[in-house]
Amino acid sequence: MKVYDLIIIGGGPAAMSAAVYAARRKLKTALIAKQLGGQMNEGYVIENYLGPYGTPGPALAKKFIWHLNIFKKELEIKEGEKVQQISGCDSSVKIVETDREEYKTKTVIIATGKSEKKLDIPGAKEFEGKGITYCATCDAPMFSGKIVAVVGAGDSGIDTVHQLLSYTSKIYWLNKYAEIKGENKTLGEEMLNNGKVQYLPNCVPSEIKGEKFVKSLIYTNVQNNQKSEVEVEGIFVEIGSTSKVDFINGCLKTSEWGEIEINHQTGATSVPGIFAAGDVADTKYKQISIAVGQGAIAALSAADYLKTLNKK
Amino acid sequence: MIKVYSTPTCPYCVTLKNFLKEKGIDFEDLDVALDAHARDEMVEKSGQMGVPVSDIDGEIVIGFDRDKICQLLKLEC
Ligand SMILES: Cc1cc2nc3c(=O)[nH]c(=O)nc-3n(C[C@H](O)[C@H](O)[C@H](O)COP(=O)(O)OP(=O)(O)OC[C@H]3O[C@@H](n4cnc5c(N)ncnc54)[C@H](O)[C@@H]3O)c2cc1C
Repeated sequence: MKVYDLIIIGGGPAAMSAAVYAARRKLKTALIAKQLGGQMNEGYVIENYLGPYGTPGPALAKKFIWHLNIFKKELEIKEGEKVQQISGCDSSVKIVETDREEYKTKTVIIATGKSEKKLDIPGAKEFEGKGITYCATCDAPMFSGKIVAVVGAGDSGIDTVHQLLSYTSKIYWLNKYAEIKGENKTLGEEMLNNGKVQYLPNCVPSEIKGEKFVKSLIYTNVQNNQKSEVEVEGIFVEIGSTSKVDFINGCLKTSEWGEIEINHQTGATSVPGIFAAGDVADTKYKQISIAVGQGAIAALSAADYLKTLNKK
Repeated sequence: MIKVYSTPTCPYCVTLKNFLKEKGIDFEDLDVALDAHARDEMVEKSGQMGVPVSDIDGEIVIGFDRDKICQLLKLEC
């Protein structure tokens, strides 16, 4: 079986950046991604990535994919494949198993990003897709003219309220904390003056009720424990995320938040030959520019590591 | 007869439609962001509100479920 120099797992900005650097270093590389673009596909308008100011997330993703494809000859791009396991952590050749094939490789870059945390309250499972949604970019238009709730007031929560303003008639905006947090805090605070928004600080959802679809949300004010019920047809949840690392089988060190611990100078993980980059790693800030930078660092470090392997 | 209910911005809708185009499958593209009738029809047929939804000769597929779509269309995937 062919042995790759490098297998990059992921298709977001971290993985695509790593792939461009690996191709230019002429490493025998495959990039395996469930879907190219990653979370950029979900972003509304990106205003803090230098260069293409104000580009919608999916359009920025397209630009990245176009750039990646310039190196199509030097890379194997396997989209639509999901990595299920990495083994051989203590050997110099690692095995990456996907839902379709098995690959052997000398180095691995994990850039699988993160995914949204789900609500864990009565009714949350039952009404998922029946009013509860975790993707405003996908489902916002389904709630045209309706009353909805948004749970969470970090960057994704802010982005969600921003998108919903052009569709819905009223938004109850629940925040576990008193203040809005995140990079786009200013936009968040501006939206509090919008007549459609009713801000509910220090409030958390406690139960979702309905029949076929969501009809109401019961929430609790964490300061006085008082419960209230509001009629809503949609609930958009943005309460943070967890790293996508279910396939590493405990062979790498992770932080208490489940993020892969890396050396921030090199992207190296606790296992020689395995690197990580972007949102999946224990980086404090989760942003496109940071993912792109870390992807580059990981690929250059993998190239250096391969040189030391070849010397042995 | 194949119908795809989608919104222009949803990533899995784009992936699904590109996939069908790549396989040379003709389908009717219904934008539920604009078309309220299609939106109600989709909710009625699928019993839920998430996009994309495909109606493949009366069989309803929720999301981009590649295996199920391939099976219904008798495609080699
Ligand atoms: C709504 C929203 C708005 C945002 N707005 C901004 C913004 O304005 N500016 C900004 O800088 N950042 C923004 N971000 C954050 C930014 O998108 C992320 O920080 C960035 O995409 C992280 O890149 P990544 O490559 O680490 O991971 P991701 O983008 O999460 O990509 C992960 C990739 O891994 C693939 N994958 C996962 N598991 C597997 C597996 N087992 N096998 C194969 N492939 C797998 C996925 O398909 C995906 O391609 C936003 C995020 C969201 C959700």
